[in-house]
Amino acid sequence: MTPLNLLAKPWIWSWLAASAAFGLTLGLTSGRGAGELAYAALSFGAFAAIVGLGQMLVITLGPGNVDLSIPATMTLAATLALKAMSSNPGTAFLGLGIALGVGVAAGLANYALIFLLRLPPIIATLAASLVYQSFAIWSNRGLRIKPPAGLADFATGRFLGLPNVAWVGLALAIVVWVVLERTVWGRMLLATGQNLRVARLAGVPVELVRATTYVLVAVFASLAGYLLASFSGGAALNMGAEYLLMSIAVVVIGGTSIAGGNSNVPGVWGAALFMFLVVSMLNSYGAGAGVRNVLTGTIIIAIVIAASTRRVRA
Amino acid sequence: MTISKMLLGAASLALVAGVAQANSHMAETSDKRIALSNNYAGNSWRQAMLQTFKETGEEAVSDGMVAAADAYTTSENQATEQAAQIQNMILQGYDAIVLNAASPTALNGAVKEACDAGVTVVSFDGIVTEPCAWRIAVDFAAMGKEQVDYLATRLPEGGNLLEIRGLAGVFVDDEISKGIHEGVAENDQFEIVGSVHGDWAQDVAQKAVAGILPSLPQVVGVVTQGGDGYGTAQAFKAAGRDTPLIVLGNRQDELQWWADQRDASDYETLSLSIAPGVASLAFWVAQQILAGEDVPKDLTVPFLKITQDSLDDALASTPEGSVANVSYALDDAKQVIADAK
Repeated sequence: MTPLNLLAKPWIWSWLAASAAFGLTLGLTSGRGAGELAYAALSFGAFAAIVGLGQMLVITLGPGNVDLSIPATMTLAATLALKAMSSNPGTAFLGLGIALGVGVAAGLANYALIFLLRLPPIIATLAASLVYQSFAIWSNRGLRIKPPAGLADFATGRFLGLPNVAWVGLALAIVVWVVLERTVWGRMLLATGQNLRVARLAGVPVELVRATTYVLVAVFASLAGYLLASFSGGAALNMGAEYLLMSIAVVVIGGTSIAGGNSNVPGVWGAALFMFLVVSMLNSYGAGAGVRNVLTGTIIIAIVIAASTRRVRA
Repeated sequence: MTISKMLLGAASLALVAGVAQANSHMAETSDKRIALSNNYAGNSWRQAMLQTFKETGEEAVSDGMVAAADAYTTSENQATEQAAQIQNMILQGYDAIVLNAASPTALNGAVKEACDAGVTVVSFDGIVTEPCAWRIAVDFAAMGKEQVDYLATRLPEGGNLLEIRGLAGVFVDDEISKGIHEGVAENDQFEIVGSVHGDWAQDVAQKAVAGILPSLPQVVGVVTQGGDGYGTAQAFKAAGRDTPLIVLGNRQDELQWWADQRDASDYETLSLSIAPGVASLAFWVAQQILAGEDVPKDLTVPFLKITQDSLDDALASTPEGSVANVSYALDDAKQVIADAK
């Protein structure tokens, strides 16, 4: 593969941007703390990558498909899981089961609203998220329950020098990539996203594909919520708030087509690392909140433009 | 818990009797209805606030002090939605509205309508600038400055500080930060070498601190805004750095962490924040206004401070995962009113 071919890959831009942010931050410290920063980026990038992978699948379904209930699903899954575990040792898998169960239920509920009531996904998932958030408030009144010690150690621990949560995010990324590129279901998802009507006429069970996708995104969100709560010492009612825009941003920056029908798995990870590193970089340079938001927005637009123009030329 | 509640009940009963005798000129409020207009419920502080208001209100209703004390929360934390909520309350005929506002200015129109309709409006925590409303404010700048003053007593040598800010663009964040910077200007042995936004959430603070730490020199102290101290401590631990002196914000997980550090290594610090129970203070102030008491428009509520000596008591009385709280009684409200006169 020649360098020019590489530049034509839409995902390369998020990785270039992440590397640039990494380099600029270390420029300030003349190289000190490189390992520390990379480790932090992998830890926190993993949560954004996991929700981003789910959001990517939904966005691939085509125009108008998006899941806005991700933050509420994360909060509800984490709240119920941590309440059930109530810090008791040996309950980590019970908690995981509950979290994933919440994800399946939320995904089915979202799809039921979209399919049965014919609501646009944006409205359906936004309305459902108010219900999930209310359940989370009602079930535990915002009390932070600590995760079991073993689970907390796992979530904050490392294996072969990389954070465990990053291994989970990496494994999921590989599974999603294989499913999209090598399985019939993945091909059907892409076909549905490219043209719903053509896909249906070609015999693709489009509604089944949409249903499984909405369940998958909610399961990914609930897994991210479970891990994040275990990582940060408990579930908080506002823990998912920043992952709404984050999940969409990493998909778009990662080079996935917002019009659907075209996924990009490596780009999601690059963008997740970038979103953490760019904030770290601007914080390290002492930029105020206003400057930071303006610069982050500008950089995101620049990456999206770079990625899309290259694709047109190629 | 129950004993203190009984005492509180007994105290307020005694007060009712006392009020009836001493202030016979004051109007009866037993037929008055008070509503809480709240803009947000999505964190442990707000949940504790709603709980305290509910307890205070139920007790006041069963004691016959007021006819109703109902709490309403908007779902989207938006000023337009809260303005509509206030208009509903006017139509429902409430005598007073206790208000935690989404914006200091955007609700002024609705608040003015309420005043014109003869409804008493008492704003607290998130206050409104409309002159016809009462304001129970916290001196947030003083809260920020006190943190630096405390650090100056503990670290006379000075050194580098890390500042954790709240939610960008919110009045409270600007005020606390202003106080912190005033404190640093007065104590020039300190220098703020980094500043991140933790959004008053442990996981956000943890992430922001983990991102800036590699580029920072040694940090001796961390000034915070509450709800961010535990996440900060976790980030320092994960980076393998020595734990600096972190000023905490009264959350139970922060207090628990403090107690653990104290037992392990004699860690000593200070924790301060506003008690969510300020809602009960606002309730009693509204009741006093309805009773005809002459109440100044601007009142100040002290912040709740926890020191090394009061840590164990505070930890024992704070439910796991919640935030340290005090419930204000009628005589506390009278004291605050008297102080403001």
